[in-house]
Amino acid sequence: MDSPSSRIDAVDFAAAQELYHSRGWTDGLPIVPPTPELVQACLDWAGLPSEHLVGIEPVRERTITAEKLAINSVMAGCLPQHFPLVIASFTAMLQEDFLLHGATASTGGCAVLLIINGPIRRDLEMTGTFNALGNADRASSVIGRAVRLGLINLLDVRPGEIDRSTLGHPGKFTYCIAEDEENSWWPSLAEERLGVSEISSVTAVAAMAPRQIMNEWTTDPEEICDTIAAEIRANQLHYSIWAGNYTVVVPGQLRQHFNDAGWSKADIRNYVFQQARVKRGEWAGVGKGSVVKDRADREYLAMDSPDDLLVVAAGGPAGGFAQIIPPWLGTKSRASTVAVGACVDCEVP
Amino acid sequence: MELLNPSHEQQRAGSAAPPRLDTLKGAIIGVISNGKENTVPFFDRVESILRERYGVAKVVRRTKLNYSAPAEVDLMSEAMGWDAVLSGVGD
Repeated sequence: MDSPSSRIDAVDFAAAQELYHSRGWTDGLPIVPPTPELVQACLDWAGLPSEHLVGIEPVRERTITAEKLAINSVMAGCLPQHFPLVIASFTAMLQEDFLLHGATASTGGCAVLLIINGPIRRDLEMTGTFNALGNADRASSVIGRAVRLGLINLLDVRPGEIDRSTLGHPGKFTYCIAEDEENSWWPSLAEERLGVSEISSVTAVAAMAPRQIMNEWTTDPEEICDTIAAEIRANQLHYSIWAGNYTVVVPGQLRQHFNDAGWSKADIRNYVFQQARVKRGEWAGVGKGSVVKDRADREYLAMDSPDDLLVVAAGGPAGGFAQIIPPWLGTKSRASTVAVGACVDCEVP
Repeated sequence: MELLNPSHEQQRAGSAAPPRLDTLKGAIIGVISNGKENTVPFFDRVESILRERYGVAKVVRRTKLNYSAPAEVDLMSEAMGWDAVLSGVGD
């Protein structure tokens, strides 16, 4: 293997752990030692040369190459077949509207949420059902972690360095979810955002921690959406009032109620869009009266348009729960969806 | 075992920092605020120090449109006419 990356010698597995931890190259958890052979296997699977330029982070002028992402993917525990999603994730984050530097450097404390769609989920056994957004499946865990390690090692997004978060959240270890397309009647997020069905894709969102809601006491879709909108309004008042890409994760039980009522994702978006708005004067009720000033009647929408609400089918089949995932400080960062470029059905070269 | 370095290894795509000014006396200094409210009194004070203590000829105050994003292209073009730029955060 002709690698542009420098070589590191370690006497054994334990020494490799301590060496990589000591250089600030980990997230504090053990890593898989990135041997040239394991890294090359990732590159071979994706059909990419080591020097392939995935993109440039413009603020810090950092080049992101396939080999560097492969090294970080191996460290995170990725198998070669996971690697194309890591490439696609960085491609999504490097789109200008995502504002990667701001999202990773801000005191605001967001992580990068990755939403996976398409056939690749089945190939990688990404379930999108029980314990979604927790340790739901291997692929989700390691792909999200690979992206975080890549941010740490390629853009210096370490606490106190580029990462200036006052408070982080557990999604900064890994934050990846697969949409449960098999158990949903709705078009997938990828179909809605790319206009193509049966395509594998990643949607990256600069996102805060999930806020869990529960409403098991109604089957009325408007009442379910009232609970969703109330949580969004609470976030507007308690965290950030600015509009942005909110994500709502809807598990099976509530999806059934929506389906029984004939509600589409668009119906949810339109209803929540109407309900999720606050007046600046409401800040006075949550201890922020000093910044209401003379604009108490000014209204703030949680989304600039209904399409800014990302509705994702995921979660276990039972329980009247859903999760609201707020955006990082509004529209400064836009959700970014890209198709997975590598052929996941191809034979390994 | 032989392993690979996961870090950027200082790969950069382009620019380098300019040389320091020999003196601030008579210089044109740009001040780019990120737009947050408390940058105003902070940079007011910085401006007065630059003028009164260091003899700066002119302080140009500008504000970015998005406090989380790099300065706009037009603003960067304007900055080419200044001797130095201060860009800081205030919250």
